[in-house]
Amino acid sequence: MQTTGLHKLIELINLTESTYILRIEKKDMQFEAGQHILLGKADDNDQREYSIYSGTNDEYLEVLIKEVVDGSVSIHLKNLNPGDLLKVEGPLGFFGLSKDKIESGKFLFIASGTGIAPFHSMVKSNPNLNYKILHGIRTCNEDYGKEDYNSDRYIRCTSRENGCDFEGRVTDYIRQNDFDNDTICYFCGNFKMIKEAMDLLENKGIPGSQLHAEVYF
Amino acid sequence: MSKKIAFKTLGCRLNLFETDSIASEFSKNNYQIVDFSDKADIYVINTCTVTSMSDQKSRRVINQAARRKKDGITIVTGCMATNYKEKLQDNENIDYVVDNDHKTSVVSIAEAHFNGEIVNDEQFQRDLFKYEPAKDTFHTRSFIKIQDGCDNFCTFCIIPKVRGRASSRPVEDVLNNIRKVVEYGYKEVIITGVNIGRYNHEGTNFEGLIEKMIEIPGDFRIRISSIEPDGYSESFFRLFKHAKLAPHMHICLQSGSEEILLKMRRMYTAKLFKEMALKLDEMYPGFSLTTDVIVGFPGETEEHFQETVEMAMSIGFGHIHTFKYSVRKGTRAERLPDHLDEREKTRRGEIIRVLSDETRLNHRKSFIGRTQRVLVQIILENGYARGFGEHYIPVIIEKQNLDTNKFYDVDIVAINENDEPTLIGKIRN
Repeated sequence: MQTTGLHKLIELINLTESTYILRIEKKDMQFEAGQHILLGKADDNDQREYSIYSGTNDEYLEVLIKEVVDGSVSIHLKNLNPGDLLKVEGPLGFFGLSKDKIESGKFLFIASGTGIAPFHSMVKSNPNLNYKILHGIRTCNEDYGKEDYNSDRYIRCTSRENGCDFEGRVTDYIRQNDFDNDTICYFCGNFKMIKEAMDLLENKGIPGSQLHAEVYF
Repeated sequence: MSKKIAFKTLGCRLNLFETDSIASEFSKNNYQIVDFSDKADIYVINTCTVTSMSDQKSRRVINQAARRKKDGITIVTGCMATNYKEKLQDNENIDYVVDNDHKTSVVSIAEAHFNGEIVNDEQFQRDLFKYEPAKDTFHTRSFIKIQDGCDNFCTFCIIPKVRGRASSRPVEDVLNNIRKVVEYGYKEVIITGVNIGRYNHEGTNFEGLIEKMIEIPGDFRIRISSIEPDGYSESFFRLFKHAKLAPHMHICLQSGSEEILLKMRRMYTAKLFKEMALKLDEMYPGFSLTTDVIVGFPGETEEHFQETVEMAMSIGFGHIHTFKYSVRKGTRAERLPDHLDEREKTRRGEIIRVLSDETRLNHRKSFIGRTQRVLVQIILENGYARGFGEHYIPVIIEKQNLDTNKFYDVDIVAINENDEPTLIGKIRN
């Protein structure tokens, strides 16, 4: 059931200089992991889409935001204080796990930057999920929510720093590794990464019908 | 003396359905419906805002009404009215602006006006589906609204803003609407909505709804209009085996380039679209597949465009509706880099239009030697009948004294290769 309403900000959690989590009142919003909301300041008509970062059973809603230089929403959201009101519309979208595959499916989640948000929600909402995450980040400190993943299942692919899990982009990791053909793949984040990763996995024999993308630009 | 009312509808079939229903209500209330070019007491304009061209057309029609109305009133409704409500309310040529959420209140607003009351749309309850089945319409086929709004948020599209979030009409209401118009004598119903493939009401999805529709008794057929290419199953395709479901869908491709489809945030790949088209043609040879294509989306290179051209050629669409990309304020694509020059968009649009003419002609020619069940719509000056077969291809039946709104089984013997290639048929003996 979709709703539009004003939700109080509970907490703003800074993760890096430019990335933060907004923890917001959930009210009675029910969503499926992977869905997004439209979010903006209560007194502003400008809204942006943000994937829900929190799990479906959490008592609050969270979104993971990267501040966009010259942006007209993310920069203002960062200046909010607990108790301030946000306009929230949703949940929206169809980027979710097939219900009949959650128990038995083998999932590969490929994200760049804050594109990890829907996968964080999927993992938190489904503790027994059989998944692997490839997270494309520049430096190790961008491994948002690392503590919520099983360390064997979360691979940081860093493009500008050594010493994490894999040195290089997610696409390099895909090139150098094999994946079972029945793997169900979800992509979220930068458009170029998604396009390249989809092509690579399809060439490795994963059918197009098992590739699902959410573009963040 | 009854008041005269004129209607103009721009844009999609959903608008056509809504105008039909509103006009039918006015007719029941003893208003006389006249042509839009005639003098009327009320002009109702149901606008569109899907492209900048739609905005221009809507504005032009509003100005035409303003010139004609004299002591009458102009009511502007539809998507442009929703998108630019405040601006239009300041336009002195317009008496009432009614947004989509309150479109069903147009009759009440007009009645109130002539009773000396000035009301506005927001005084009425929001209702997306309170449209009565129309008995007398501007069309020989009946449009049925099953759904409104869209949650897909394609990056180019303004529709989620002006039509709101997806909402489905209750199953029984839809089925009763069909039963009613079949009882009125309509022989073809066209399923409309903003994103009908996402229909879902209390567990009944689009496929389930169509299954129920084709079980309704009566001599009529069902046509699926514009639909998005995601979420189909093989069992949905099997429904086309039923004689009531016309073998035709307008499935929006938008681009043949995987990269552009991703940037548009469409929820399918070009490869999957092609597989689906081939599957339909394999199951139902000649299946009529028509589509929309957007040319000149931000960042569309010549190579991307050629991928669309190649795909259109290989699928052989029955028709391609070509749109030049135009910026819609507030959409994600507005903020994308690399917007194309208008002349380049025009050039690409022209290439697709020429290609569409070719593929349409080839598709239609393939029906020579086959049969069609033609619903006659008009009788031509020479006494021959013209109508549409189940594949939504126009057919002229070379026989006089046929009836309109009646089905005829016809052998296709030739084709007129004019601007609108038309099949020529003879009644089956």
